[in-house]
Amino acid sequence: MKLNKMLTVGAVVFGFAALHAQADTELEFWTMNLAPKFNDYFNKAVTDFNKANPGLTAKWVDMNWDQIEPKLIASIAAGSPPALVNFNVPWVHAHAQAGDILPIDQYLGAAKGSYSVGALKDVTVNGKVYAFPWYNSVSIIAYNKDLLAKAGVKAAPASFDQFVADGKQITAKTGVPAYAPKLGNFVGWFYYAGLPVIEGNKAVFNSPKHVAFVQKFADLYKAGVMPKDVFKVEFEQEIAAYNSGKIAMMTTAPQALKRTETDAKAVYAKTGVAAFPTDAGKMAFGAWLMDFVVPKGTKDPAAAAKLGLFLTGDAQQVAFSKATETTFPSTKKGNLDPYFQSGAKSADPVEQGRAVAAKSMDKAVTLTIPPGVLPDEAAMTKKLQDEIQDAIEGRKPVKAALDEAVAAWNEKLAK
Amino acid sequence: MRFRTDLCNIKIKLQSSYAVKNTRSYAAIAYLFLAPALILMGVFTFWPVGFNTYLAFQDYSIADGTATWNNFAHFKYIFHEELFWNALKNSLLYLLIVPVIQLGALVLAKLVNNKLPGMTFFRATFYIPVITSISIAGVVWIYVYKYDGMLTWLLTSLGLLHEQIDWLGEPKIALYMMMIFTFWKGIGYYMVLYLAGLQAIPSEVEEAAVLDGANAWQRFWKITVPMVKPTILLCTLLSTIAAIKVMQEPIVLTKGGKGDTYTALFYVYDQAFRNFNFGRAAAAGLVITFFCVLLAIIQFRFFGEKK
Repeated sequence: MKLNKMLTVGAVVFGFAALHAQADTELEFWTMNLAPKFNDYFNKAVTDFNKANPGLTAKWVDMNWDQIEPKLIASIAAGSPPALVNFNVPWVHAHAQAGDILPIDQYLGAAKGSYSVGALKDVTVNGKVYAFPWYNSVSIIAYNKDLLAKAGVKAAPASFDQFVADGKQITAKTGVPAYAPKLGNFVGWFYYAGLPVIEGNKAVFNSPKHVAFVQKFADLYKAGVMPKDVFKVEFEQEIAAYNSGKIAMMTTAPQALKRTETDAKAVYAKTGVAAFPTDAGKMAFGAWLMDFVVPKGTKDPAAAAKLGLFLTGDAQQVAFSKATETTFPSTKKGNLDPYFQSGAKSADPVEQGRAVAAKSMDKAVTLTIPPGVLPDEAAMTKKLQDEIQDAIEGRKPVKAALDEAVAAWNEKLAK
Repeated sequence: MRFRTDLCNIKIKLQSSYAVKNTRSYAAIAYLFLAPALILMGVFTFWPVGFNTYLAFQDYSIADGTATWNNFAHFKYIFHEELFWNALKNSLLYLLIVPVIQLGALVLAKLVNNKLPGMTFFRATFYIPVITSISIAGVVWIYVYKYDGMLTWLLTSLGLLHEQIDWLGEPKIALYMMMIFTFWKGIGYYMVLYLAGLQAIPSEVEEAAVLDGANAWQRFWKITVPMVKPTILLCTLLSTIAAIKVMQEPIVLTKGGKGDTYTALFYVYDQAFRNFNFGRAAAAGLVITFFCVLLAIIQFRFFGEKK
């Protein structure tokens, strides 16, 4: 009896162990700020993946963007990182340098050729690809037709200088600030204007050209073309200001239009859409590539890569873009899908915006400093932003502000 | 006679051994009761503080978990870092709110300590900001402080202001605006602590003072303040530490320290989670702790019971 009991217990334990061994490999992937809006897309994608890959179980976890890095770091330190994590481009570079994420070249294979060149360039660090490029977007201009007509501005600006001139005209004639572009990453504006930031390990953003460029913003601020708190304006605040008629133009990603459509129907009805003009940098403004990285220490990197290739393949990228209606694939074939160009002649701003932005996608490069260049990125970025803000808000001459920032940068770069 | 002395000696020996045993088991039981809290504090407070102190002297790589001694490099770096000193200056400037909030809370507690009908309503009302989530309060106060927001509107309609001011964007005033927010958010908390202190004052003392002809002002300074001194010490200490550690306010109000509202702890956060330089963050944290302890010592000297 006793032996029987022991055998039974043994069999049960063994059975559980065997079951456990046979259990699917769970592939947890983290995304930022996509639930609950896109639950349907992800639930379907997960089901499709699991069906096509017996033995693997994808599990979707969504979180707020600012939790991603701390949680990932904590999970790497704890030895239990997820399979894939949704990153932006600066994070890819920072964490590739720090050795927290794995290069994925060996898993890409033929799929490498399917991603757009700009997107691959964005996620390549020291010659190795560190992320699966996913969705992307660029800024467009959405404008209030009534206010532009009142100001006598007939068409959306075709160049940056025209953009500046139109802004002044709109504010002068209507009394409404023309626009509130996001100034939180001014380095991006320098790149957009084709101006260098660092050359030969030295900060060079105090040349006469740089000064003249920043001066344009200072003049706009002084003339009230940008609202007083423009430096506090981020994605949400810009939409709110446009929706309430407090600015005449939104210079933002096309997904903002969806919010205007639902939150401010009257403004949406008189909204026109145009491409954001390019400047000397010949880069579309506001590109911000999203991607998936494989953290170091993940249990099965090959399986994780399988999920990464699945989620960023043509079919899934087009399906995801259709779900968001306002983002774009980072694959060459994906962007050729008729879905994106069908809205070019539509009267609906969201559809127009989609066509306008898709056309700009080939110029989409994420405009940030090549990461790893700055020895103390947090402090240096803050110094530059503080000086730029003082200059634009008129507390300091532009030249003096840029000189001071350059001096501070060079002191740190020389160390 | 001798027999009696022997008996006495035995009795004393027995008693003392019993007493020793008793004290031992008493101490053991005391430690047993302390154990749950000590273990939790050990894991979540003492260990992190200790590890943080260790990290402050190391180059720490999170990816492979290695730490190497770096000969005080982090402290040398911080010493020459203008941003850190400016942030620390802002945090120390934030101490200005401490006496204001303490006096305000004490006066408020005195007022709501009156036995009048409906007083519970006022106590609850003053406490509401404390239990309001700081992110929600932040969103509301951003609109109060917006250049065309409530504060500008109020002052303009009273004829006190003639132009729009971006209250959180002007480097000269933004920090003080944040202090007002802290005052609003925190006063109810200290009010409750003072209320408890006030209710422990026997009413006879105050009654006697009234009979002696002391007026309200004299009673407040000669009776109330001295008798709630332990509470004042506690509250001042708490709010001093909170002021030096201020970080949530710049996060919700100025999106990370724009307009000269960058604080010391924000520097620590930036170094840890933007630069991933955990060693430098730890060193900066240690410097801040030093200032916290220094201020605590001063306050104990000032308000503490003299032996």
